[in-house]
Amino acid sequence: MLTWSSLKAYFRNRGAIFFSLLVPLMIMGIFGLINFGNSTPSVNIGIVDQAHNQVSGRILSSLQGIKAVKLHTGSLDGEKHELQQGNRDLVAVLPASIGQGSTAITAYYNQGNPQNSQVAIAIMNQFVDRASFAFAGISPALTLDTKPVQSRNLTYVDFLVPGMIALSIMQTGLFGVVFTFVQWKQRGILRRLMATPMRVRDFFFSQLVTRLTTVALQIVVLLAVGLFLFHFHFAGNLLYLLIVGIIGGGIFLAMGLAISGASKSEETAAPIANLVSLPLMFLSGIFFSRSNMPEWLQAITQYSPLTYVSDALRSISIGGASLWAIRADLLGIFVWLAIAVVLATRLFKWEVV
Amino acid sequence: MSVVTRPGQADLAADTQGFAILVDGLRKRYGSLVAVDGISFRVEEREIFGLLGPNGAGKTTTVEILEGLRDADEGRAFVAGIDVRKDPQKVKSLIGVQLQSSAFFDGLSLLELLDMFAALYKRTVDAMGLLKKVDLAEKAHSTVGKLSGGQKQRFSIATALVNEPQILFLDEPTTGLDPQARRNLWELANSIRAEGRTIVLTTHYMDEAETLCDRVAIMDHGKILAMEPPDSLIQRLLDKGFRGERVERSANLEDVFLDMTGHGLRES
Repeated sequence: MLTWSSLKAYFRNRGAIFFSLLVPLMIMGIFGLINFGNSTPSVNIGIVDQAHNQVSGRILSSLQGIKAVKLHTGSLDGEKHELQQGNRDLVAVLPASIGQGSTAITAYYNQGNPQNSQVAIAIMNQFVDRASFAFAGISPALTLDTKPVQSRNLTYVDFLVPGMIALSIMQTGLFGVVFTFVQWKQRGILRRLMATPMRVRDFFFSQLVTRLTTVALQIVVLLAVGLFLFHFHFAGNLLYLLIVGIIGGGIFLAMGLAISGASKSEETAAPIANLVSLPLMFLSGIFFSRSNMPEWLQAITQYSPLTYVSDALRSISIGGASLWAIRADLLGIFVWLAIAVVLATRLFKWEVV
Repeated sequence: MSVVTRPGQADLAADTQGFAILVDGLRKRYGSLVAVDGISFRVEEREIFGLLGPNGAGKTTTVEILEGLRDADEGRAFVAGIDVRKDPQKVKSLIGVQLQSSAFFDGLSLLELLDMFAALYKRTVDAMGLLKKVDLAEKAHSTVGKLSGGQKQRFSIATALVNEPQILFLDEPTTGLDPQARRNLWELANSIRAEGRTIVLTTHYMDEAETLCDRVAIMDHGKILAMEPPDSLIQRLLDKGFRGERVERSANLEDVFLDMTGHGLRES
């Protein structure tokens, strides 16, 4: 009955429900549209064709055939200017003498963007080699035979959606609990309940059910939006996703209780909750893979509770992992759950003292 | 002068017969501060008992111990015949509590809140009947946030009545109310007492204590200074030769105010 009342009260607070879904959806929208990492890297190569003969024409057309190359042609001065502006990664000059004996092709590259210019140089080198063989009439001693393999085309959204689910689980757990409980304490709602013969475990059970229902709802909505709006590739089991989400939600609920127990007012609770959530948000591989971090940081952040949750959710939704396959993450989640529950029971107080 | 006769430890429990509350040598410290300093008193069944005293006198701590919200350091307290220090849950199920600043869940209607409170006592309640009793039937489907100050207090009392308590604790129920709402609440308190319930009331308004209470205890610095019916306390003061600055009249400004603006409730 208490659980039912608490659910009704919670879900009538439409503002809170709306925002608990809106923020992750907004972040998903923004990052999904920017779509980091999904665009094929392309290099800008400028060609200064001083020959205008059959040979230079062939080089140009085969360069054009390469997907990763954006080809520009122009005068030497014009292209060098573009190079300086950073609009070209490499500018190659095809001299008038091309096709007549041994010819040197001069290439200028942009030192400011070594990654792209290296790619451009490698492409040009490969070209020059191939052209040389062709002109000399030699068949190459080694050839590369490429065969396509069907793979699932993973996009940034596929990385992002499980991360966003993990993030919203954390936010619901931490902030949903911290603010309501501090408010309830301040307004005397908890005291009024304590003046009835209500059993404490019934109260916490009702709160747990209310929040975890919200978490489950969030998972389903975020997943649905990911699937239908952002073409998220979901390969996993929804049930596993919910199980991990709900257990993970327990960690942050307990943390929220610990914070609301330790703080006397919203003014102290909010900074503490942010102090916990912000580092976790940016260090747990929510928006970007942790593999971009320096190694020492990776070594630390692999133990973050949010890392365990987001990694587990990602393994399930992208890799179709079973619960057994993610047992290492689950172990981490349970260890954190135990820590958070101990903290909550130590720190939670019913009253503003 | 001993205000209270203190029975021996052994016969105390047996002595609760006929008394709603029996307190013996109750003491509570917060660090070096002694909030309640070994007080003893009895509250008879079906009386309205007032606990008066300036802020920090120890009234709230005393009441909270009796309500089972706080444990005492020393002494004994029987509420409705139950030792509250041994079985606070049992006491909670027998009493009704209206707290000074009790807010309720925002999302629920008055009816739903009463049903929820009844469930906390593991019983069902005629929520609408209870709302009628406190004159809130037309607000049954509103939330507490939409109520006026007086309506909130009346609703708070309704939640304290869901378990048909033997003893009702009212903590400053009329603070912040206009005269009409105050008088209305007094009527409610009297009608609750008429049902055979005992009321323990704390208040800062002496006229309220004078009108409502059968007996009052005046507390300061954790001790009870006097405990008697209001009239005999006043008579005692007059006997000492005290004369008020104003000549006593049989009406006061509040009577004038109510005469001009009427007794009807100004709410909604």
